[in-house]
Amino acid sequence: MNLPQIQLRHQLKPACWRLLGRAGLSESRWRSWSVTRRRAVIAATVFVVVAIVLGPIYGFSLAAFLTWLVFVALYVPRWERVPRVGRWIPPLGVLLIAIAFPFYSFKMFTIPVLGQFPDTHTGVVMLIYTMMALGLNVVVGYAGLLDLGYVAFFAMGAYTTAWFASQQFAGQTATGAPLRSFSLGSIDILPGTGGFHISIWLLLLLAGVLTSIIGIVIGLPTLRLRGDYLAIVTLGFGEILPQVFRNGDNLFGTGFNLTNGPQGIVPVDPLGFGHTLDHWFGLPANYLTVAPNTFGPTNLSAGDAAFFWTALVLVLIVIFVSWRVRDSKLGRAWIAIREDETAAAAMGVPLMRTKTWSYAMGAFFGGVAGAYFAAFTGGANPDSFFFNISVFILCMVILGGMGNIWGVIFGACFLAYLDQAGLANTGAWLGQHLGIKIEVPKYEFGIYGVILLVVMLFRPEGLIPSARRRREFKEGVHDEPIVEAHV
Amino acid sequence: MKKRFLVAAVAAGALFAVAFGAYAGIAKVSRVSATPLPSSSCGPLQYKGSGSPQFIIASDLPLQGSSRSQTVELSKAEAFILGQQGWKAGKYTVGYQSCDDSTAQAGKWDPAKCSANANNYARNTSVIGVLGTFNSGCAEIEIPTANRASLGMVSPANTYVGITHSATGVTSAGEPGKYYPTGKRNYIRVVAADDFQGAADALLAQSMNEKKVYILNDKEAYGAGIAGTYRNALKHLGGIQIVGDEAWDPKASSYADLATKIKNSGAQSVFLGGLECENGGKLIKDLRAGLGNIVIVAPDGFSSFKDTIAHAGSASENMFISIAGEPFKFLGKGGKAFATAFGKSLGLPATKVNPYSNYGATAMVTMLKAIEGSNGTRASVTGNLFKSKFSDSPIGGFVINKNGDTNNAPISIYKVGGGTANFYKLITPPAKLVTG
Amino acid sequence: MATEVSAPNLALLRRRGIPSPAAIFGTLLVSAVLAWLAYNAVLTPSLFAKQFLIGLTNGSVYGLVALGYTLVYGILELINFAHGDVFMLGAMISATFAVQIFGLGANEAWYVLWPTVLLTLLIAMIFCGVINTTVERIAYRPLRGAPRLAPLITAIAMSFILQNVALAWKGPNYIALPYILPQSSVFSIGPYHYQWADLIVLFITVPVLLLLTWFVQKTRQGKAMRATAQDRDAAAMMGINVNRTISVTFLIAGMLAGAAGLIYALYFTSVRFDQGFQLGLIAFTAAVLGGIGNLTGAVLGAVLIGMIQAFNNGLTWHAPGSDWTQSIVFAILILILVFRPEGLLGERTPEGQ
Repeated sequence: MNLPQIQLRHQLKPACWRLLGRAGLSESRWRSWSVTRRRAVIAATVFVVVAIVLGPIYGFSLAAFLTWLVFVALYVPRWERVPRVGRWIPPLGVLLIAIAFPFYSFKMFTIPVLGQFPDTHTGVVMLIYTMMALGLNVVVGYAGLLDLGYVAFFAMGAYTTAWFASQQFAGQTATGAPLRSFSLGSIDILPGTGGFHISIWLLLLLAGVLTSIIGIVIGLPTLRLRGDYLAIVTLGFGEILPQVFRNGDNLFGTGFNLTNGPQGIVPVDPLGFGHTLDHWFGLPANYLTVAPNTFGPTNLSAGDAAFFWTALVLVLIVIFVSWRVRDSKLGRAWIAIREDETAAAAMGVPLMRTKTWSYAMGAFFGGVAGAYFAAFTGGANPDSFFFNISVFILCMVILGGMGNIWGVIFGACFLAYLDQAGLANTGAWLGQHLGIKIEVPKYEFGIYGVILLVVMLFRPEGLIPSARRRREFKEGVHDEPIVEAHV
Repeated sequence: MKKRFLVAAVAAGALFAVAFGAYAGIAKVSRVSATPLPSSSCGPLQYKGSGSPQFIIASDLPLQGSSRSQTVELSKAEAFILGQQGWKAGKYTVGYQSCDDSTAQAGKWDPAKCSANANNYARNTSVIGVLGTFNSGCAEIEIPTANRASLGMVSPANTYVGITHSATGVTSAGEPGKYYPTGKRNYIRVVAADDFQGAADALLAQSMNEKKVYILNDKEAYGAGIAGTYRNALKHLGGIQIVGDEAWDPKASSYADLATKIKNSGAQSVFLGGLECENGGKLIKDLRAGLGNIVIVAPDGFSSFKDTIAHAGSASENMFISIAGEPFKFLGKGGKAFATAFGKSLGLPATKVNPYSNYGATAMVTMLKAIEGSNGTRASVTGNLFKSKFSDSPIGGFVINKNGDTNNAPISIYKVGGGTANFYKLITPPAKLVTG
Repeated sequence: MATEVSAPNLALLRRRGIPSPAAIFGTLLVSAVLAWLAYNAVLTPSLFAKQFLIGLTNGSVYGLVALGYTLVYGILELINFAHGDVFMLGAMISATFAVQIFGLGANEAWYVLWPTVLLTLLIAMIFCGVINTTVERIAYRPLRGAPRLAPLITAIAMSFILQNVALAWKGPNYIALPYILPQSSVFSIGPYHYQWADLIVLFITVPVLLLLTWFVQKTRQGKAMRATAQDRDAAAMMGINVNRTISVTFLIAGMLAGAAGLIYALYFTSVRFDQGFQLGLIAFTAAVLGGIGNLTGAVLGAVLIGMIQAFNNGLTWHAPGSDWTQSIVFAILILILVFRPEGLLGERTPEGQ
């Protein structure tokens, strides 16, 4: 296959080496060095660039230096050579850094151009998007089914929380008192409040289950379609479901208020462990009213930190499940379908069941993420769920590397950061330093479009590809459709 | 070989420990003056007094999209008042930050942005009060968060009824209580709720002897709300039949089919409950084309006269637009003085100052007064907000009641003619029409 | 290919003469819709007739866009998501030229109006043709032979990029045009008028369709297109320049989008940067409804979709109303793809035209 990325690499790489060769570092000499030495040189180069080149512009910061030290500690030594525990050290290091995030995020350096280091609030959003991207990765990355309506699952999850943890179904008697009231493990609800109030912890699970049922219902009739038809059908569902949520305040003229229409359902109950667990184990009773000094320094926002750690636990669960499933029989069946549907079917892989499972699982993660999003932002609103979000999440998966968990996490965190703060800061930076007055966030989706295009053209396997995906894009695959549209 | 890795491991561990130790060390440093809100959604801290300010008043408006021209001026008006008072409220020095709750892609307020902003205000202890929001949907998200932090909010523009009080057929179950999880109110508004505007528009219909009206809404929080209040007021007035009540699809390419349907209903007037930016210009055009000289009445969602007239062209001729507040000539002393001075600072004649700017200024005045009489805590400022009582302000005299509503509720009706919107009449709806 | 797929089972059932559940469901649905239409027609005959005409006019505009989808799908089996946005750019360039540069307003004399409109049409067609060919060159050609999903993703990417080009160019608000096409009445049904503008839209769509059919069926280039659609490798072996043929297809599709853009701008008089995507999806639904790859089918599907929209929005007896238009269109798309992926006129494949 004659893809342009190959041509580009063939032209760019030698040019770079020629340049380095002039400086006394030929390619063969570089290759002769040990891995540790090469990594040390890279780390030193990063230091030089950051401290000496960017330092004068952004000011030398201790935080930047310490970050660099952590990077050296994790990257330079060949941890995998350490017997038994070795291969766990880098992931555990990353995990430690992630856990400590709320303690240092507000003291970190300014990223060149992109501005302020993400704060804890942004961190939570990044983790929520990570959850969704990992869910979509199961569908797109593992099973190779393009889902353009993933936002529907996100919306479904959010509305599940909103239905069962708010006053939505309270109803009203003639005197204005609530008709229905049901409470199960909810916290901090004023007495006499109507509606369903189920603990958000249970709802996270319930949202996942409900959403995966929706996923199966959508999937069963549509998954036999070929790839591009499936994409457009999912897009259709992704457009219909938000409209149902928007129009659901008077469903089919019956006066039944399912979704509170364009107003959305706000607010939803707070997330927290309740006073008993707070008393015995020190777990925050209510995330929205955590005292500022709960976790030590007052300038780390305690409420956001609680949300952050909870999201981190959820993401870890999602990572663990995706990782175990990928290596299971089901995961191998997905990859077989992705690479060659016909051959997979011939080898006895049940196509429909396997595809439906990938759909259900992707939907499950999307639902959990949506439910958590509703708990975090305090409500569900039909405006939050439109087609662009589906593409946004797809962009995360593709940028990072379809099928690779680490790549998808990277893509999700980076793009979510851009979305939350990075692009706005870039605009401000351009205005201040180059005098270019441009509202960068306005072109957010144009920028994602460019990212998608460039990645697909030049590095379709993503920034951090899985080895297998990379081979597929190099060698090409046979994915002739099973059911032809033209009979 | 193995030894080297052990050494490396120990070294790395040590570096790790140093790193976190250092962070903990940094974290202990505390600050004295106000911490500004993050630049990702808020503009720079504005303060021209001496030293650095003790407190910040944050303004929360959609600064992108179609309401931009109004909201930017509104924000300037707020800062203008603070500047006039010397960046001070009594003994406290106060800075101002203008925050944006919209995204450019959506072109309007964004739920996630509102939630993020509210969290920013709540956790930044320098923020003593919030002026906002502009859109009621955004307020519904921000009020509960602010409520838990006993942070007071003064809105210059929210008109959805359910935020402060309930009304049959308009508000939903649990409103407004559900927005105040602590059970203690923290939100007031200086603008009259939609039920005043809906009532005024209904009175307008009555004054023109209409017998059949058609109600449209844009299926947005604001539009559905105001259409509901109009419907309610019509039912209370009696004698006017609602022959149709449905939504227009902002994404449609044509409304000819809708116009035909309205014509078939025999309606004499159409009410457009919604925002002009939801394809309102095209809607007006198609209604005119299909319905000739039918009476078109629109609420303040169409109050950006320039855009409405530019987008609808000559089809906007003779349409009525209602807007809360009074035109310049009806303003009291405070209002005229403000409009003149503020207009001068912008290089505009006083009559061209957007009515919303008066509301923004009033919100700031109210907030500053509440801070002035407080002991410097959020709770005390919030408590004071509910005691607000002015004999004169940029919108005239008013009193805030226990729900946080104002009693100052004149509605101006404008009529488009000759390419501009001209003041038509002032309607102050009677209380019994509103509260029903 | 007999695997665990339900389609062969359905075929089996059909052979035995037992109608499949899908067929029963489809028949019931269609009869219910027809009954609803009939009742409405009896109840409000002139309203029904007017909505029919509105649907016909809107549908023919959708048809021009749908033709572009169907042409490209026929030859590349690619859903060109960017097509709707090319169309939107066409509407914008038409608005710019017709109003800002040529200064057309309402009530122009015919000898000013028609030459200017024709000139604008030419500009818009060339402009969109070039853009569409460029899109193909940049985003699709490098990915021939890559997994099927790759060009689909770049198509979405191009759609977003074009949208943002328009956003940067014209800003986020609706661009409003005056009524340039004559608004006077051709004939009246009860109180409703049928305007010259409506008729003009039909007068443009029908010749374009005839011209296109003639081109695809009779000319050398058209034959090359059909051959490429049928079997790209075999066509290449027979000496057809496949890349050039595909470029020509995109050029024609782009020109159709340009024409549709001009009509849209003049007839609907309001356009915004994100409307192309929306309308593109409607047009794609129309193409699928008619049988994708089938030219006549695309126009038929588009007219049907236009009418369904108009009837839904504008009829009085138990119409779901405009709240649900979008959902109805997508529901049709899904139902057709699931139960009858070959569309209404699907028996005739693109090769067999």
